[in-house]
Amino acid sequence: MVTSTPTTTLDQEAELTGGSGKGGRGALSPTATYLLRRLGLYVLTLWGSLTASFFFFRLLPGDPISGIISQLQTRGQYSSLDNSQDMVEFYRKEFGLDGSLGQQYVSYFRNILTQFDFGPSVLSYPSPATDLIIRALPWTFALIGVATLLGWGIGVVLGTLTAWKRNSRWAELITNGALGLSHIPPYFMALFLLIFLSYRGGLLPSRGAYDAGLDPSWSLEFMISAIKYGTLPVLATVIVAVANWMISTRALVVSILGEDFLTFANAKGITPRHVLTRYVLRNAWLPQIAALGLALGGVVSGNILIERLFVYPGLGNLLVDAVIIKDVNTAMATVTLLIFMVLTINLIIDLCLPLIDPRVKFTG
Amino acid sequence: MVFVNLYRESGKFRLGAVITLILIVIGVLRTPLLNLAVGDTDPMAVGSFGIFLDPTRDHLLGTDRFGRDVLGLVLIALPVSLTVAFLAGALSTVLGVVVGFVSGYKGGRVDSVLRTLTDMFIVIPTLPLIIILAANTRNLSSLKLALVLAAFSWPFAARVIRSQVLSLRERPYVELSKMTNLSDREIIVGDILPNMAPYVAIGFAQASVGSAFALVGLTVIGLGPSSQMDLGRMISEALGYGVISLGKELIFVVPVALLILLFLGLALISQGMEEFFNPRLRSQA
Repeated sequence: MVTSTPTTTLDQEAELTGGSGKGGRGALSPTATYLLRRLGLYVLTLWGSLTASFFFFRLLPGDPISGIISQLQTRGQYSSLDNSQDMVEFYRKEFGLDGSLGQQYVSYFRNILTQFDFGPSVLSYPSPATDLIIRALPWTFALIGVATLLGWGIGVVLGTLTAWKRNSRWAELITNGALGLSHIPPYFMALFLLIFLSYRGGLLPSRGAYDAGLDPSWSLEFMISAIKYGTLPVLATVIVAVANWMISTRALVVSILGEDFLTFANAKGITPRHVLTRYVLRNAWLPQIAALGLALGGVVSGNILIERLFVYPGLGNLLVDAVIIKDVNTAMATVTLLIFMVLTINLIIDLCLPLIDPRVKFTG
Repeated sequence: MVFVNLYRESGKFRLGAVITLILIVIGVLRTPLLNLAVGDTDPMAVGSFGIFLDPTRDHLLGTDRFGRDVLGLVLIALPVSLTVAFLAGALSTVLGVVVGFVSGYKGGRVDSVLRTLTDMFIVIPTLPLIIILAANTRNLSSLKLALVLAAFSWPFAARVIRSQVLSLRERPYVELSKMTNLSDREIIVGDILPNMAPYVAIGFAQASVGSAFALVGLTVIGLGPSSQMDLGRMISEALGYGVISLGKELIFVVPVALLILLFLGLALISQGMEEFFNPRLRSQA
C-alpha cells in the first residue's frame, strides 16, 4: 500500500469536515467542501497572524507617536522642532494612531483591503510603506524563488539517486556529507561563503543586489550584475536546502524500493533507468511538493538573516531596518507580505496537488 | 532503564549527547575556566588588553576591537545562549505537551481546533513575528526572551506528543482501564504519562533546536538582550566592526562553531531518540 504525506493530510482534513458538516452541507460535493475548508483555513490563518502582529505593536506600553516624531526629527524629515499639540495630532492622524484601539484596528484592515495602504513610513517619510515594500519585494521573491527551486530540485534528484545506489561508496559519502551540512543554519553557511568566496577569494561581491553604477532595468548588463550579486545569498540557502531535501527524499525512496510494484516492473523487463525515472522518481517528487510548502516558512525566516548579512535590498533587510527605528507601518507591511506570500504558496500547492498526484483526491 | 539502552544502541544519540554534554560542562565550569583564561579581569571590561591581538599563550583566541579576551567572552556568552535555548525549550515543551495532550486525548472538535492552530504556527514564517516581539519588549531579559521564543516553538513539541497520545489512547490496557470505569485522570496518570517520557524528551530536543535557531536569528541581527553577552551577539558585534575585512575571523568563528555544535548535538539527540523509539524509521535512514 502506498501511503504518502499528502494523502494523509487531505484525508484528515476531509475527516474533520465530515464530522462537523453533517447534514447542513450534505448537498456540496466533496471537492467543494474541501475547497471551502481550505480557503477558510487560509483566510483564518492570514487574519490571525495579521491580527497578532497588529496587537504586538499597538499594545506596547507608552505612546508610539512621540517615538515616531523623534525619529522623524533625527532623520530630518520633520520641519518643526516644536512638539505642539497640533503637530502631534497631525502625525497621530497621519500614522493611523487616532481613535480607540478598535477603530484603529478596523481602519487598518479597511485600508489594507481596499487600497493596499499601510500608511506612511518613517524610514523615508512621507513615502507610503507600500512603496517601500513594493520596491523590496522583487528582490526577496527572486532570492527565495531561485534558492527554493534549485535546492528542492537538486535535493530531490540527488536523494533519489543516492537511495537508488545506496550500496555504493559514493552514495554513502554524499549522504554523510549531507547529514553534516543539513544541521548548519543557512546564515552560517553564508558567513563562510562570504569569507572564502568574497573577501579571501575576491570572486563575488559581498553586499548589495547590483552594481552601484547601474540603474535597475531589464538590460543584459544589469541582469548579469544582479545574478553576480545574488549568487552568494542564493548559494548559502541552496547548499543547506539540497542537503535537507536529499536526506528526506532518500528516506522516502529507500522505503519504497522494496515495494511490489518495483519488483513487478523489473520482472516485466523494464530497463532499470526507466524504472528509476518513471516509477521511483515519480513517487519521490510528488510527496516532496507537499513538504515544500511546509518548509517555506523556515526558508523565509532564514532569508531575513541572509539579506541582512549581504545588505540585500529585500523585505528581510527592510523589516529589520524598520524594526530598529520602530517604523511600525513599514514593519507591519513587511510581515504581512511575507506571511501572505508563504500562505498563498501553500494554498496553491494544496489546491494543485490533487491535479498532479493521482493518489491525492479531494475527499469529503 | 530505557535511556541506558538508547545510549548503548543509537550511535546518533551517543554522539549528540556527548557534544551537548561537553557544551553544558563548559558552561557550568565557566567561573574556573574564566579564571584560567583572563584571571581576575572582568571579561566584558573594555580596554583590558591590546586590541585585535593575535592568538598567543596569554590570549588563546586573541582579543577583539575593545581589547577584550575572546576566549573570556566566549566563556561568558556560551552559558547565556545555552540557558536561553534550554529554558525556551523547556517552556515550549510544557506548552506543547499540554496542547498535544489535550488535542490527542480529547479528539473531536477540540483536536481539530488545536491541530489547526499548531499547523498555522508551523506554516507561517515565525522569525519576523519574533523579531517584532523581541524588539518591542522592554528590558528584554533571558527569561522574557525565552518566553518569546517558546511562544513560537511549542508546535514542534505539540506535534510529537499528539501523535503519540493518539496511538497510546488505543492501546488495549487503556481500553481495559476505561472498561473498569477509571476516571480520565487515573488513566492519564497511570496508563498514558509513564509511556510518554521518551516523547516528551524528543519534543524537548526539537523545541530546543527550534528555540536555538530563532535565538541565533534574533541575536545575530543585534536584537537580543543588550545587558548581556551571548554567542549570537558576539557574532553580530564582530561583523559590525568588520572583522572579515580585517582578517580577524577567529573572533566570530569560535561562537559560530559552538552554535553549530549545539544544533548538531540537539538534532542528533532528537533523531537518535526518534529512530530508537520508532523503529519503523530506523530501516529508512
